[in-house]
Amino acid sequence: METQEKEFKSIEVFNVTSDIYSQAITGELIGMSNFATLAETIDDPHEKMEAVEHADSERRHAEGFMAYAKKLGLNVNINLKGSYWNRIREQFLNYAAKKDFIACIIIQEVMLEAFAISMYTDAGNALGGASKKLFLSIAEEEKEHMDHSVELLQEELHKDPDTFIKKFEGIHFNCMTILSEFSARTDLKGHCGVCNGDCMKNALHHVNLNVDSLRGNALALYAKALDTIGIPGEKSIVWIAKLPA
Amino acid sequence: MRTSELEELPISKIKAIYDYIPPRGIFKMHVKSLTGIETNGLYIDTFIAPDKLNAQNLRANIQKVKDAVKVVHHLNIKMAILGGFTSLLLEGNFNDFEDYDMVLTTGNSLTSAYVVKGLEKAAREHGISMSESNVLVIGATGDIGMACTNYLKGKVNRLLLCARNMNRLKTFGQRLLDEGHEVKYSSDLSELAPEADLIISVASSSEIAISSLKPKVIICDAGYPKNLEEKVEKVPGVFLFHGGMGQLKHGYSFNPDYTSQFYRYPAPHLGHGCIIEIILMAFEGIKENFSMGKGNITSEKIDLMYELSLKHGIELAPFYNSDGILEASKNNSTT
Ligand SMILES: NC(=O)C1=CN([C@@H]2O[C@H](COP(=O)(O)OP(=O)(O)OC[C@H]3O[C@@H](n4cnc5c(N)ncnc54)[C@H](OP(=O)(O)O)[C@@H]3O)[C@@H](O)[C@H]2O)C=CC1
Ligand SMILES: [Fe+2]
Ligand SMILES: [Fe+2]
Repeated sequence: METQEKEFKSIEVFNVTSDIYSQAITGELIGMSNFATLAETIDDPHEKMEAVEHADSERRHAEGFMAYAKKLGLNVNINLKGSYWNRIREQFLNYAAKKDFIACIIIQEVMLEAFAISMYTDAGNALGGASKKLFLSIAEEEKEHMDHSVELLQEELHKDPDTFIKKFEGIHFNCMTILSEFSARTDLKGHCGVCNGDCMKNALHHVNLNVDSLRGNALALYAKALDTIGIPGEKSIVWIAKLPA
Repeated sequence: MRTSELEELPISKIKAIYDYIPPRGIFKMHVKSLTGIETNGLYIDTFIAPDKLNAQNLRANIQKVKDAVKVVHHLNIKMAILGGFTSLLLEGNFNDFEDYDMVLTTGNSLTSAYVVKGLEKAAREHGISMSESNVLVIGATGDIGMACTNYLKGKVNRLLLCARNMNRLKTFGQRLLDEGHEVKYSSDLSELAPEADLIISVASSSEIAISSLKPKVIICDAGYPKNLEEKVEKVPGVFLFHGGMGQLKHGYSFNPDYTSQFYRYPAPHLGHGCIIEIILMAFEGIKENFSMGKGNITSEKIDLMYELSLKHGIELAPFYNSDGILEASKNNSTT
C-alpha cells in the first residue's frame, strides 16, 4: 500500500476513491455487456455493427479506468452481480430478449448514460488531478453516445408520441427505480456489492462530494434528456417525483 | 401500473433535489371569459427553492428564469408572464428574449390594479374616505409599489413611502414632492406607520413588522412571503387582507388538477393578478409586451387592465387572509 500513502491524504480518501473507480468500472462493464447482448439479439446488420462498436467503446472506458486504478494502487472491486447493477442488467436483458432495440437504447443511452455523464463529471471535478482528466474525457465520450441516441429517440417519438411516451414511462419505472434506489441517501435495497466495506455514500464528504448533489445533477441531466427527446415536462416531473428516495 | 396522471405530484419526495430540476411545465390551465372566449395556458415552474433565493445564488437563479423562458419558446408558446420572483430576478428586463418572437409581461399592471382597487373597495366598505387618508406604501420603490403610488397620488391626503434603499426612495419621493404631492418618506417604518390610515405592503421581505398603528387601519398585503399577519401589532379593528388577487367568475381548470396542492384559497377560482394579466392578453390578442422594466406602469395601464378584467368576468377577489374569508366579503365570496 505504498502508493496509497504517497497519493492520498487519508485512508478515507483512498477508500472512497477506490469505491468510485469500482463503480465506474463495473458500470462500464455492464454497458459493454449490454451492447454485446444487443449485437447478438438484433437482426439489422447496421445496428449489429453499431452495437459491437459501442460495446468496444465501453470496454475501452473500463480499461482506461482499470489502468489508472492500478497505477494508483486502488482497491478495486468489480462485481457485475452486485445487486443494483445486476437488476439493471436483468431489466436490459428482458427488453433485449424481446428484440426491443428502442427500449435497450433508452436504458443504456439515456438512463445509464445520464448517470454516468453526470457522476463522472462531478467525481472527476472532486477528485482532481489526473483522475479529473480521465473522468471528464470519458464523460465527454458518453455525452456523444447520449446525444446520438437522443436524436434517434426524437424521431421515434415523432412517429407515434402517445405510444412512445407510454413505453418510455414503463421503462422509466422499471429501470430508473433501480438507479434511484441505488443513488438514494442510503442504499434502499441493501449493500450494492461493489463498495468496499460500508457504502461509500457515507464517505463522499472526504472528497467534497455529497449524495444529494450527485443524485440531483444526475436526475437533472436525465430530465433534460427527456425534455430534448420531447417528453412533456409535466409528465417527466411526475415520473421523477415518484421514484423512491 | 396506475397512470401517473391520476395521482398528485409528490413534490415532498423531491425536496432534496428540488432545485436541481430543470424548469418545466407542471400543469395546463383552461380559462373561460364572460364573453365566451376560451384559452389555454401552461404553468411552468423554475424550480428555484425559496431558501435559494439569495444573492449567493443570483446568477444560477437568473439562468433558471432564462431557461424557463427557453422552455416556453421550445414549446412554441407565444406569450408568457414571468410571475412572482422571476420578474424580480430579471428586474423586468426582457432584452434577452427579443429573438424569441414572444410577448412577455411581468403581470404587475393588473396586480397593481387589484391592489389599489381592493384598497379603494375596502376603504369604501369601512366608510373611510380615500381623499382624507394617509396611505403608506411599504416597498414604494418597487415596480408594484411605484405603480400604486403613482396611481394614488392626487387621490389621497398624504403618501407615506417606505423602502430600505434611501437613495432610490429619496429620488422617487422628491419627484412626487416636485409634482406638488404631499409626501413623507423614510426607510424607518416606525416613523410612518403611526400616521397611516391605509397600508399597502408590496415588499418581498419577511422582515417587515408594523406597530404603533392607528385603530381601524386597513392593510393590503400583496407581497411574498405572506407573513405580515404574524408581524402586525394585534390592534382590534385592523383589517388585513391578501391583495393583488382576482376571482375568475367563469372558473378555470387545471390538468392535472393540482389545485388542492398548489393553489389553495378560501374562495373558488382565485388567481394572482400577474397570471390573470396574461390571460387577459390572450383573450384580447395583445401582441406587445405589456408590463416590463421597473417604474413603467402608468395609471392608464392599470385602468386598462382593470377594465379588461371586468369585461372578461374577472373581479376583485373577496377579502381574505390566512384565517379565511373576512366578514365584509362573506356575502360575495361564492361564484
Ligand atoms: N399578488 C400578486 O399577484 C403578486 C404579488 N407580487 C409580489 O409583490 C411584491 C413586490 O413586487 P415588485 O414590486 O415587482 O418587487 P420589487 O423588487 O420591484 O420591489 C420590492 C420593493 O420592496 C422594498 N423592500 C424590500 N424589502 C424591504 C423591507 N424589508 N422594508 C421595506 N421595503 C422593502 C424594495 O426596496 P429596497 O430594496 O430599497 O428596500 C422595493 O421598493 C413581491 O413580493 C412579489 O412577490 C408580485 C406579483 C404578483
Ligand atoms: Fe462508457
Ligand atoms: Fe456509453
